[in-house]
Amino acid sequence: MVKALRWWWGILLAFSLTGASALFLPLPFLNEVVIFSIYTIGCSFLLGRVGFISFGQPAYLAAGAYGTAFYLFYFGANPYAGILVGVLAGLGLSVIVGPLFVRLRSDYFALVNLALAVIVYYLMQKVLADITKGDNGLWFLTNIASTPVLDISRPNQFFIFALLAAVAVWAFYKYLDDSIYGACCLATKTNEDKLKFLGYSNYNVRLLAFIIANTTTALAGAMYAVYLGFVSPEITSPARVADPVVVTVLGGTGTLYGPLIGALAYTGMKDVISKLIGNWELFIGFLLVFIMLAGERGIWGTLQPRLEKLLFRNHAMTAADERGEARR
Amino acid sequence: MMDAQLLISGVIFGLSIGSIYFLTAIGLSLCFGLMRIISLDQLLYYSVGAYLTYSLSSASGSVWLGVLAGMIVAGVVSFAVERLVFLRIYERELPFSLITSFGILIGGIGVIKFFWGVVPRPVPVPTLAQINIAGTDVPAYRLIVIGIAGLVYAGIWLFLNRTIIGKAIRAGIENVEHVEGLGINVSRLFTITFIAAAALSGLAGGLNAPLIMVDPQMGIEVLAFVFMVVIIGGLGSIKGTLVSAIIVGQVVSLGSLIYAPLAQMAPFAIMLLILLIKPTGLYGSALLKR
Repeated sequence: MVKALRWWWGILLAFSLTGASALFLPLPFLNEVVIFSIYTIGCSFLLGRVGFISFGQPAYLAAGAYGTAFYLFYFGANPYAGILVGVLAGLGLSVIVGPLFVRLRSDYFALVNLALAVIVYYLMQKVLADITKGDNGLWFLTNIASTPVLDISRPNQFFIFALLAAVAVWAFYKYLDDSIYGACCLATKTNEDKLKFLGYSNYNVRLLAFIIANTTTALAGAMYAVYLGFVSPEITSPARVADPVVVTVLGGTGTLYGPLIGALAYTGMKDVISKLIGNWELFIGFLLVFIMLAGERGIWGTLQPRLEKLLFRNHAMTAADERGEARR
Repeated sequence: MMDAQLLISGVIFGLSIGSIYFLTAIGLSLCFGLMRIISLDQLLYYSVGAYLTYSLSSASGSVWLGVLAGMIVAGVVSFAVERLVFLRIYERELPFSLITSFGILIGGIGVIKFFWGVVPRPVPVPTLAQINIAGTDVPAYRLIVIGIAGLVYAGIWLFLNRTIIGKAIRAGIENVEHVEGLGINVSRLFTITFIAAAALSGLAGGLNAPLIMVDPQMGIEVLAFVFMVVIIGGLGSIKGTLVSAIIVGQVVSLGSLIYAPLAQMAPFAIMLLILLIKPTGLYGSALLKR
């Protein structure tokens, strides 16, 4: 019970800080950050925990976004149902392609995912243009009905919903990290032979991780769709395939809060630097190289040990005190 | 449904696209085979080649001079990048080099934007002559591009099979430790391969410049196709790269004659299919597993 409270504490603190920053940061920016962090956590999990680098996350983002968009444009008006449809679409896509993809080596995996993203892009832009309206995109902001308790058709209430969803996602990933399954994921990354000897199937572990990560990504896509009220093929364009990977590395690969901090830093820097020097690529590219060469820890990966040291020093002191008391 | 003229020009068009893909992909393939890195920054050298071709052809009027300068500058830039970055990451696992080289590519695009701006630039075609093949007029420049790619393939084949350094590179693709054990300076071998790969990418960019508009994002646009060529052929295989470049070029070109919306997608579908049947690509060997 106490242990459960302790790890809830971290997540609640992180997101109440995010929520409190709504007082001085613009709401659209924070909405973007929260959705982006959910988008990234799947990629971070795949890269940091399972050792799969995916250049195709936009494909699953698009599955979620278009699932929601189709529902809200053609069938219904309830945004919650729309998000559910989007998540199910992402789940469906990853269940179909997962068994084929996770057999591949990690380098091929990255590229096959890239290929899938490009296929989805052309599918939505050209082949299915009758249904998706091609480059114009689907506009359905006026179709979204207001909902009773938490009206997510309004940006400020959507932000509360996004925060709650993010807390749920983070709690789930924290739970995964601490479970035996999380240990299996790490093992399949570092030494798949040993895991095999222990009686686990590498294939099953990877498949589950793939499905979980990409369903999370689809959730982010569905939230984008409801938040923006429009979806176009742009979200899966080949120029944006590496965004989640960049944010993952920026925040700290495989760490729990890396995606949140990475998304915050990435979105913030993009706004500030584009305004200041206007050459965003130059900055982010060399920053990426620098982070990788400096030990690929990212922002959170660098901060975490220091914070822990700060906390642990107090903790160690109280522990020593307790022992001292007991001895006396 | 398709007349002979259309077919011939389609095939030539496909071959010339395939040649460009081949020249870019060969560098990636060699780098993977020998150093076990995925060097996305080859696409940067491709853009560098194209931009120098633009600058020198508008300054001196000769596209060929620009292509040559593009190759040289691409080689020099790659030498600097190799010394600064890749020397430190050769022994790391693949995702590491993938992400780092992507950072170089993005940063390099920023540098290109800084020097040349974001406006797409046209490059004049060096020869406007048309050559008649079986009753169809075909632009001579596309034939020249195909010829250069053929020469490069022959050159690489001779280099790898007839020279000591080439043989060492081929042996290194099979097993780097053994080559090192024979007393060959592997790190110099890596440098030579990296620079040669970058020069070929620069050549591809320079040759492609008159066929398209030169813009900062051109490397990213071609990235997916070049990767597909490498994957279909099998990472590390020269012959496989040639075969798959021809296949992909034809699929893109002839596919757009049959049903345009599918033309961009078809190569990716083919790649997925080939990977599912043979996960190492057409000519990739299982030996390459590390």
